Parts: sequence; structure tokens; C-alpha cells
Amino acid sequence: MTTAARDILMPAEWRDFWALTKPRVMSLVVFTALCGLLAAPGNIHPIIAFTAVLCIALGAGACGSLNQWYEADVDAKMARTAQRPLPAGRMDRAAALHFGVGLAAFSVGIMGVAVNWLSAGLLAFSIFFYSIVYTIWLKPNTPQNIVIGGAAGAFPPVIGWAAVTGDVTFLPVLLFTIIFLWTPPHFWALALFMKTDYGAAGIPMLPNVKGQRVTRNQIFGYSFPMAGAAILPFILGDSGWLYGAASMLLSGVFLILAFRVWQNEATDAAAMKPEKQLFAFSILYLFLLFALFAFDRMVTA
Amino acid sequence: MTQPDQSPYTAEETALIRKRQAARSRVMGVALVGLCILFFLITVAKVGVWG
Repeated sequence: MTTAARDILMPAEWRDFWALTKPRVMSLVVFTALCGLLAAPGNIHPIIAFTAVLCIALGAGACGSLNQWYEADVDAKMARTAQRPLPAGRMDRAAALHFGVGLAAFSVGIMGVAVNWLSAGLLAFSIFFYSIVYTIWLKPNTPQNIVIGGAAGAFPPVIGWAAVTGDVTFLPVLLFTIIFLWTPPHFWALALFMKTDYGAAGIPMLPNVKGQRVTRNQIFGYSFPMAGAAILPFILGDSGWLYGAASMLLSGVFLILAFRVWQNEATDAAAMKPEKQLFAFSILYLFLLFALFAFDRMVTA
Repeated sequence: MTQPDQSPYTAEETALIRKRQAARSRVMGVALVGLCILFFLITVAKVGVWG
């Protein structure tokens, strides 16, 4: 028996199970869900609210686990992901699958029993959408993978909203739309300077399939409807001046950074400073936008 | 006549396995206690015992 083969049989550390859940992605999911929950009209018991956010976090963890279970071979080919528990050989693949399925069933079940079955249904659909539609179907087959797959990441504020109100109205759909339109510029900025990694793994990201010029055009193009969707809650009178001013300012900065990406002609990752700046700012953008929206709605209420 | 047990692991590996199992058990214990408290609080919130 080789050393490598014996390592596989070693029980994984609990930290590896934690890493399977993609904690950094989970933090953004939890944050947007919490903002959706806080922005919703009506009251919810703090314990039930905590349970709803916990279930959304566990559902996001299930998505991360199932994604890493399916993509273990692909992750091994990319420097960014090669040290994850499965490609690094620290965990049995079946354990990741069982962990992911268990988390998914547990989170949906508790959400249904403790919160309401609409939010549980939305959570179940978002897990299905990310794990099956995005990870297994779209990601390895089309350069539009993150456009349609972005819907999975856009569900958390809708689920948070549904946890409070028990229904889904236009405003949570608008929150969904903001994240849905934010996802392509965010991921394609990353895909531009990680093009070599994605190419080595055989993932058909837009820069690898259609080229960098088309990707930059698309990033700039998507930034406009995203900015429009971000400002729309203020225009429709669903938020106050605080969010209105912040959404215009933040979206303005986003558009300027997207414009710089559009102008850039660099093909080497080292010269892609505008792309790296846009990627970093896009995370801050979503955090600030949703935080201010929730705060504004709470103050207004 | 039975064969003596032949563990595929060295003494160091066995110690590491035990250490990992113990750490996982501790985390699982904390998670279960946390869930028990959460389920109790959910029940209290649903029933409305404390208003």
C-alpha cells in the first residue's frame, strides 16, 4: 500500500469539512439573506430569524460541499483550488457527498418546520439549482454558465424575505435581480485574470471561449442594467435618500471601474489591474449596497 | 489458529487517527448541544411561552 493510498483512508479533520462549505462564499450568502430578512416588512421572532439565517448558511454549505464533490478532478488542475480537501487527498469523496446531502436535507427540513415551507421550498430549489443546474449541467458546458448559474446566488435575500412575510413580492425579486446582474461582471473580472487556470481545468469560461475583448464588452454591458436595478428601489419609493444616494455613488464607481476594464487591452494577468480592482470592489459594492438597503428600510420603517 | 491482527497503520498514524477522531467527536458534541438548545428555543418561540 502506498503512502498516498493510506492518506486517503485517514479520517478527515473537522476543519476539512468546514472548508468544504466554502466559508467565504457562505459569509456573502448569509449577509445578503440577513439583509433581505431585515428589509422585509413585518415582524419575526429573533430565534426564528436566527434559525432562518442558520438554515440558509447550512444550505450554502451544502452547495459548496456538493460542488467540491463533483468538481474534485477539476479543482486538482487549478492552483487556486488544488489545496481543497478532496484534490489534496485529505478526504474521501463519498464523505463530501454524504456531508453535502445531509446538510441540504437538514437545512431544508428545519427551515420548513421552524420558519415556513415557502422559504424551505425556495432554499431547496436554490440548492438544486446550484448543485445540479449550475455545477453539473451549465458550468462544464457553456460560457454562459455564470449568467444563468448566478440565479442560485441571488436567492438568499428572497429566502430571507420569505422567512418574514411568507410570500414573495416585487421588492425581493428586485433584490434577486441586482445579484443576478452583478454576478457576470464579478465573475468575468475574475475569469479574465484567472484565464490560464480555467483553461487548464477545461472550464469554458467566457474569456477562454469567446476571448478577452468580448468578455470586457460583456462586463461593461452588464454593469448598466445592474446599476439601474440597484437604483430602482429608490426610484420606486421603496427606500429613502440614504440608500438612493449610496446606490448612485457606488454604482457610479462600479461603472467607472467597468469602463477601465473595457478600455484595457492587456492579455497578461499581471497587467490586469483594472480587472483585479473591479473584482475586489464588486464584493465591497454588494456588501455596502445590501447593508445600506436594510439599514435604510429599518430606519424608514 | 488465528492470525495476529496486522494494522495497516504505523503507531504514529494510529495516534493521528485517534487525535482526529477525538477532535471530530468534540465538534460533533458541541454541534449537538447547540442544536438541542436551538430546538428548545424554537419550541418556546413557536408556543409563545415567553410572549
